[in-house]
Amino acid sequence: MRHEILDAPNFGLLALTLQAGEKVVAESGAMVAMGPAVSVETKMRGGLLAAAKRKLLGGESLFQNTFTARESEQLLYLAPPVEGDLRVKELARGEVFFLQSGNYLAHVGEELVLDTQWGGVRSFFGGIGFFMLKVVGPGTLFYGSYGAIHEVPVSAGGYTCDTGHIVGFSDGLEYRVRPFAGFKGLFFSGEGLVCDFEGRGTLYVQTRKAPALAGFLHPFRRVQQRGN
Amino acid sequence: MKFEIQYRPAHSLAIAHLEAGESVRAEASAMVSMTRNLAITTDGPMGGRGGLLGSFKRAVLGGETFFTNTFTAQGTAGHVTLAPTLSGDMQAIELRPGEPLYIQGSSYVAAPDSVELDTRWQGLKGFFSGETLFFLEASGQGPVLVNAFGALETLELDGDVIVDTGHLVAFGAGIEYEVTKASRGWIASYLSGEGLVLRMRGRGRVYLQSRNPKEYGHAVGSQLPPRQG
Amino acid sequence: MQYHIEHGPAFAWLRVGLEPEERIVAEAGAMVRQSSALEVETRLNASRKAGVFGIIVAFFVALLRRFLGGETMFVNEFWGPRGGEVVLAPKLSGQIMKKSLDGTRSLFVQRGGYLASSSGIDTRVRFGGLRTLFGGEGLVLLHCTGAGDVFVNSYGGITEVPVNGKFVVDTGHIVAFDGALDFRVRSIGGAKSFLFSGEGLVCEFEGRGTVYVQSRNLKALVGWLAPLLPS
Repeated sequence: MRHEILDAPNFGLLALTLQAGEKVVAESGAMVAMGPAVSVETKMRGGLLAAAKRKLLGGESLFQNTFTARESEQLLYLAPPVEGDLRVKELARGEVFFLQSGNYLAHVGEELVLDTQWGGVRSFFGGIGFFMLKVVGPGTLFYGSYGAIHEVPVSAGGYTCDTGHIVGFSDGLEYRVRPFAGFKGLFFSGEGLVCDFEGRGTLYVQTRKAPALAGFLHPFRRVQQRGN
Repeated sequence: MKFEIQYRPAHSLAIAHLEAGESVRAEASAMVSMTRNLAITTDGPMGGRGGLLGSFKRAVLGGETFFTNTFTAQGTAGHVTLAPTLSGDMQAIELRPGEPLYIQGSSYVAAPDSVELDTRWQGLKGFFSGETLFFLEASGQGPVLVNAFGALETLELDGDVIVDTGHLVAFGAGIEYEVTKASRGWIASYLSGEGLVLRMRGRGRVYLQSRNPKEYGHAVGSQLPPRQG
Repeated sequence: MQYHIEHGPAFAWLRVGLEPEERIVAEAGAMVRQSSALEVETRLNASRKAGVFGIIVAFFVALLRRFLGGETMFVNEFWGPRGGEVVLAPKLSGQIMKKSLDGTRSLFVQRGGYLASSSGIDTRVRFGGLRTLFGGEGLVLLHCTGAGDVFVNSYGGITEVPVNGKFVVDTGHIVAFDGALDFRVRSIGGAKSFLFSGEGLVCEFEGRGTVYVQSRNLKALVGWLAPLLPS
């Protein structure tokens, strides 16, 4: 399998070339285009019960698609739903990476484990709070960001980040989720949560966040007619 | 206090570098990340500091009222990173005393204490669209961080130009403006889809953004599931 | 006509310099700024050759779609006795490309991808599948013919894919394609896939020609945002 990342960092697009028998698992809705000899199978992520639990807590979709090439040199284009960057991370056996659920795009490698972790704090306004995926190798992980990715080396002194702006972080960092001390605007500007980091590692920050966009768009939605 | 802007022009992130004791005042939802040594206070429209007057109207976009947080570095230097809601560029416009800048409400991101902010109710209404404008007057001296939805164009105006206000970020003193028709005839202007259109005249700078938040809002919002009333 | 595509690839806009009496037609709402000397005329986006009946049909179809999907149906035409400058911008982020037609080839442009065209270009609405008319799924296309320039905008970046045989593209990711290609709209693979896979419909291209693929999809954005919204 070959991969190439196009249009980054503005509209990262993953261009994969699959050989016969190769498989890629991707987030529901990620397919842009594909060659004629690629099959698609839709499954519930991790089985029915695990998927249901995850949907209630984690907010990512219940379903994922497995793309399998029946012939060689099949093109498969995948894209995240929102504008921004796209990165690849090769994980060695046992290597851990924490990724915000909404940033997951696709992965290769049947042994790669994706496990949902909850930040432990509900948002100030009663929302679901903050969720991360704990990704454990071996395997290849593809993820996107909303906006650009700003890398912050965390060391002595620590660092604080709005949870909506977290793409991911390396193993070895301690993290604690809490409400933000200042005023964050009305509900839709964000969950009102920040994450304090300590230890040594790398934090990946995205320069835009989904709840702010949702809040911006909310007044533009059509109003449900009563009695519909 | 110094603004450093990275990832221009589409996904810009502003880093406000603060020496010990220095402050920056940022629009409430703009905080992305920060060092742990900053004190935070919230300023609102009712009392609070720096010239925010009691009566102002909600911004057209998103209906957010105007609140700011002030970040102050304690003990050592620190920084706070800032970003607006929508994708696009940011720029720190240097203010000089006696030369105020008029900024669309949702385009303001942050400024130091040396910049005074005054909300102004413009009372400009589109003839059919019902669209209203909310401007801030920034005066004093120092850098004012503004955002653009999309790319930012600085137009050096000497004469006149017709502008769709959804694309208007800011303009300097010395520019006059009046509401005008977007198309020939009143009905056509309504149908033209332009909303509030201004004729701007004079000598000075007009800052434009290459996307229109209202158009974007309708294009995406109309596709979202409907909401309760 | 002088044209400049500026601020790409993320937030491109089109700056057009018009000669005296020269005209450009643009999607309603696209104007950013214009010379005060330019005239603006607003009209229905019907084919220039359409008779009264054609215009009435276009009117009702557009009304129906506006009721269902909120799309505009009007265009603005800019011109002036001394010429002038007009800047046009699309609604979403992305790129703009110019396609020139010489009267022998045609171009299909996905409805949201039409930004502007010069006089001499004729546009007609076509539907890629019956479901499109009422369901909002599928493909609403503008068939562009004639001689002149068409300015197309994308949501995201544009990737040119030369097709020689068969190729499958999610309908939301199509910007435009050569009129010479055969195309068929279908669901991605079986009923279950359609309901659950998150992929809506796909378009199967066959033949020889170029397909212009955009790297973002409004439906995917909507699907991703929906769980974050309150009721």
